[in-house]
Amino acid sequence: MAAGTADQPIPGNGDPISEEEALRRLRLTDDPSAQYYAAWWLGRNRSSHPDAVPLLQEALRQRRPRDPGAGVEENAVARNAARALGKLGAPARAAIPDLLATLDDDDHGLREAAARALGELRAEDAVEPLRRRLASGPAVAGAQQPGTPRLQEPCEALLEALGDIGVADPPVLAVIEPFVGHERPLIRSAACRALLQLTAEPRWGDQLVALLTHQQLQVRRAALMDLGAAGWRQALEPIAATLAENSLKLIALRGLVEQPAAGAGQPEAAPDPATVAVLDVMDALL
Amino acid sequence: MINTDVMALVEAVQRADSALGLLQATQALAAAAHPDGAACLVEVLGFNNPGAAVAAVDGLIAIGEPAVDTILTNIDGYNYGARAWAVRALAGIGDVRGLEVLEDALGKDIGPSVRRAAARGLGQLRLENLAAPVRQATAERCLQALVEGCRDGEWVVRYAVAVGLESLAPELHPEPQQRLHAALLGLRHNPEEEAPVVSLRAALALQRLGVSHG
Repeated sequence: MAAGTADQPIPGNGDPISEEEALRRLRLTDDPSAQYYAAWWLGRNRSSHPDAVPLLQEALRQRRPRDPGAGVEENAVARNAARALGKLGAPARAAIPDLLATLDDDDHGLREAAARALGELRAEDAVEPLRRRLASGPAVAGAQQPGTPRLQEPCEALLEALGDIGVADPPVLAVIEPFVGHERPLIRSAACRALLQLTAEPRWGDQLVALLTHQQLQVRRAALMDLGAAGWRQALEPIAATLAENSLKLIALRGLVEQPAAGAGQPEAAPDPATVAVLDVMDALL
Repeated sequence: MINTDVMALVEAVQRADSALGLLQATQALAAAAHPDGAACLVEVLGFNNPGAAVAAVDGLIAIGEPAVDTILTNIDGYNYGARAWAVRALAGIGDVRGLEVLEDALGKDIGPSVRRAAARGLGQLRLENLAAPVRQATAERCLQALVEGCRDGEWVVRYAVAVGLESLAPELHPEPQQRLHAALLGLRHNPEEEAPVVSLRAALALQRLGVSHG
């Protein structure tokens, strides 16, 4: 995961507003700039208002062909709406069909935001469409677009979504595996993360640990986030020794504590010795 | 190490003309851990070179109490980055003269990494040389700041508050001790908590303090 993509900066006018005000602005269909901020606000504050999800669904539908140079355009609203839906948990599952529809949009950034949201919502219906967008492999889906640094598909987001959703069918694994050999280390990291989540095979964890010593800080940061997302406990010592900010190591270690417990854990239980070992490392990084 | 050697190390920091050169010279000065190097190390905190700043913070912590006055008189109210590093150095040294800066940082600083360092620092001030009444009053000020920190909006700060409360506990008399336990129980059972790791860390603290927490 590219560090920093998880927490979008405050877009536009970052004034403090109320939930009512955010919902009011999201209804202003002739003011995309107000809608853009409102959509971001509802996700950032994890709104549970009953109007939030329907309004964000509307915002997703108001996209149109891209109009570069038009400032904050409807597509930017749709992208923020997708990101917000990913953060609203169970009530946002009603929007899964709308998010699936945007997976085939021409807008690369919207596909990326929708893929991440579908991953966050654990949308099993998204597995096949996500798999299909990656099926042409690193040489096509993973090829660089002429004239931009982008790949043909938002591979990192698509791979991470497949890992997060957690359907470990052989056809899914077969499509992810070739991306472990992609020329870009961030894509390799995302592929290893997804495979580690889906199979728990140590070889994928070992490859992520190897990326913790990559010469580029950006790659080391991504590998930290990916090991945290997969909750790979074997990485405890290498994470502690990585040359990167303590803030990111703490996020990764939080993942080591919380991920193995996801779904199965006893939240009321006292921490076991292996968890205490992770907490001790976290304490030393504060 | 004699003074002229330290001066040579200081000059090397001042002469450094690249990021890498500054980092290496700062590391060498920090390794000397000599009080005469403190002013120069504090200066490095304001250079916007994170690697060198980390080394300078380590050096200041290694110098310890003799560096505190230098840090406090040079703390930069305008250079945000330098202030953040200075808070970390004060938290690491644990000298009680840093109390006010740490209280302020936990309560008001905009950077979560600074608030988190301050919370940890408030739990590890060295109070053993203070006269008993002052010692108890100081510990209760730390407690008050940490209790307020339980409501911080960032999970990592609330985590650091749990760590700070655990390490502060032995300093407190029974009545404030009860308030400390209540704060940890609040972190343990907060229904709004979005980060299970915070609740787990509070459980560990309570367990280590011998408090039952369900």
